[in-house]
Amino acid sequence: MLKIPTRTETIYKFKAKGGKIVAVAPYHYPKALFRAFNILPVEVWGPPKLNTLESKAHIQTYVCSVVHSILAFYLQGNLEVCDFILIPHTCDSLQGLGSIFLDFIKPKQKVLTFYTPRERRRIDISFLSKEIEKLYNQLCEFTGEKPDFEELHRHIDIEEKANKMLKKLLNERQYLDIDDFNFYSILRTKEFLPAEEFIEIANDVYLMYKTDKPISKTPVIVSGLLPEPMEIFTIINEKNGFVAGDDLAITGRRLYPPSEGSNPFVRLAKSIIFSPPEPSRGDSVEARLKNLLEIAKRTNSKGVIFYIVTFCEQEYFYISHLRKGLRENGIKSILIDTDINQELSQQAITRLEVFLETLQ
Amino acid sequence: MNFLKAARYFLMTNFIGKPYLRYERKRGERKIAHLTGENSPLNPPLKITAYTKEFVSSHYFKGRYVEGVKPVAWVTSGAPIEILKALGFFLIYPENHAALCGARKVQMDLIETAEKSGLSNNVCSYVRTDIGSLLSGKTPAGKLPKPDLLVACSNICQTVLHWYRMLQKYLNIPLVIIDTPFVYNEIEPHQVEYVKKQLKNSLLPVAERIAGKTLKEKDLKNVIKLSKDATELWLEILNLCAERPSPLTVFDQFVYMAPIVEMRGDKETVDYYNAMYKEVKSRVNMGKGAIKRERRRLLWDNLPIWFKMRELALKLAERGINIPISTYTYAWGELAPLMNLKKDEFEVMAKVYLSPILNRGAGQKLKAMRNMVDRFKLDGVILHSDRSCKPYSMGQMDERNKLIEEFKIPAMLLEADQNDENAYSEEQVAIRIESFFEMLGVSHG
Ligand code: SF4
Ligand code: SF4
Repeated sequence: MLKIPTRTETIYKFKAKGGKIVAVAPYHYPKALFRAFNILPVEVWGPPKLNTLESKAHIQTYVCSVVHSILAFYLQGNLEVCDFILIPHTCDSLQGLGSIFLDFIKPKQKVLTFYTPRERRRIDISFLSKEIEKLYNQLCEFTGEKPDFEELHRHIDIEEKANKMLKKLLNERQYLDIDDFNFYSILRTKEFLPAEEFIEIANDVYLMYKTDKPISKTPVIVSGLLPEPMEIFTIINEKNGFVAGDDLAITGRRLYPPSEGSNPFVRLAKSIIFSPPEPSRGDSVEARLKNLLEIAKRTNSKGVIFYIVTFCEQEYFYISHLRKGLRENGIKSILIDTDINQELSQQAITRLEVFLETLQ
Repeated sequence: MNFLKAARYFLMTNFIGKPYLRYERKRGERKIAHLTGENSPLNPPLKITAYTKEFVSSHYFKGRYVEGVKPVAWVTSGAPIEILKALGFFLIYPENHAALCGARKVQMDLIETAEKSGLSNNVCSYVRTDIGSLLSGKTPAGKLPKPDLLVACSNICQTVLHWYRMLQKYLNIPLVIIDTPFVYNEIEPHQVEYVKKQLKNSLLPVAERIAGKTLKEKDLKNVIKLSKDATELWLEILNLCAERPSPLTVFDQFVYMAPIVEMRGDKETVDYYNAMYKEVKSRVNMGKGAIKRERRRLLWDNLPIWFKMRELALKLAERGINIPISTYTYAWGELAPLMNLKKDEFEVMAKVYLSPILNRGAGQKLKAMRNMVDRFKLDGVILHSDRSCKPYSMGQMDERNKLIEEFKIPAMLLEADQNDENAYSEEQVAIRIESFFEMLGVSHG
């Protein structure tokens, strides 16, 4: 098994070399831009299984566990090591969290926000490139650095290579003889590793686990924000299944296409605008369904597990339409409600087990 | 335009709807004085209440016959409707319709229909109410006209984007999204430019095509002026509530605000608010309050709890508590100064529609609340923590703490939902209100 660096190790190593750290909430942002300023983005997706007592003094209990965890994690002093905090505008709840940070908590770190348009028109690309340029100007001001276009393009190229590697691993998942827990643990290093290191690890994984024959287990798809609690993988694997494809925000929804052009801000904007359809971009039912059906076809999956964080309105919105559309195409699905801070309930485990049995 | 339908529209609205609703209004006006008895803590409502009913009902009545006569658009409450109005669109606001269902207490049946169809109860209750209505065809409005166009503006929440995408799927008609980036601090030029371009390049061509005509600058200017006039009047009416005793309660305002949301841009709306202003002003001159014994005055934050309005109004008035203002009702007035008629209309609209309270940070809302407390001479704040409305509710816990700790203003969070009775606990609300009464020193009547 490969030795995977932890978030903490990565952060201290990067800082030791004079770099800075930005803690990033879910989930679209121009990663390369930060790297051009020698700032390492470290994504904060929770973390899971946290006691969120502190966040309850700021946020109502009907707000999702991801937002609670991010705030509790900060309030427990775990983001002290970070120099910046970035809150992308992923949903109304993260919008609220951004506002709470800026207006009430006022951390010592600079809090940055980032708006992703909800459409895919030319005007959206143009707005987003200006939004990225604004971020660039803010970083110039805060760091005193001013990376030139060449430097920006260099980092965009590296990130694009990392994205390509992620895509390769996901697309060839059926030929990689590794269990899901370990596979996703490796993929998730992309949330904090510098792109160069991720590319290396991903390459090693590919060479180490690549087989000629596809895995002879039942392929399934997981859809949602993140696979937490990660017990889901053990259950799937124990029932002789494997995650052949995903529509997860941590991975499959961020398969950014490569970009071209002389303006780095436009390049970054285009790659976000043309990322796969998903809820935080406000895509239509049809676009979401089409995407799921394509993943199912490519991976030969006959089942989709919607693994949804409770209270996440935008993930729940289309579920009945998506499930109906999948059913009409011969694909079964199941909805499992999750709380990233709690174990999966016995009932959820049993439902998952039964679902996987019906797929065999 | 279909001439048969046009004739039917003309006949039904002018010869059936109009006289009938006018008759009902007269009857209502006669009854108003006797609506609250001698023992009620409330004074009789304004006469304009009957006019409001006539006005709003006539809008929905016209809606029954408007298909094929005028182009119809369903729009979000914060949508830039001036363009549509100037092109002759008839507008329906699904959020207002959902509120109407809540106020008439028919929403739970609709919510159940939507949930049975698979819509999660994690989705805003306005959406569930409205989708339930769409699926069942049931509505207290009689019938809603089928739209030719959907317009969703993200300046109130992201919920509406998904909601309208779903409507688009059900109705198979064009949808225009006006994306308004959230304003954490100040509005920035690239945000204005973005919204302006969407109005010009996305909304306008589609709306013109459906309306079958080209937008005339003169018409647009005229509608903006009418919008501004109505908005200014609404603001002036609300400002009269700074008087002691306040001539209105927030529960009155929740009802009277319907036209400013769904009929702004019409001349009749300006006339309506003019009439209201006169009546409210005369109440102020008489020193007559909305409640008989106004001992304490509070601020309401967030949407109303539509299905509990009357109960809450009475419960509070019994203790001599009035709520003369809310961030929600005020939000519809405070944009008036931004409607600068001398500037480029598209630029003005872009700025106005980037500015609603729900598109601004929680600190901005706290500032507004602090100002209202001073201006309206308030003794405390009730923050309705609305399970459905995350954009309005997030930040409220800090707002409450700041109000109490920094500004020494009693404040209470009330957990509920604007339309979903399942998220409302009678017992919890009673306990919380009772303890708030104690804080305000009015626990014994
Ligand atoms: S889980 Fe949903 S509601 Fe929560 S932060 Fe993520 S996208 Fe937003
Ligand atoms: S989430 Fe709030 S603003 Fe959005 S539709 Fe629901 S009640 Fe209205």
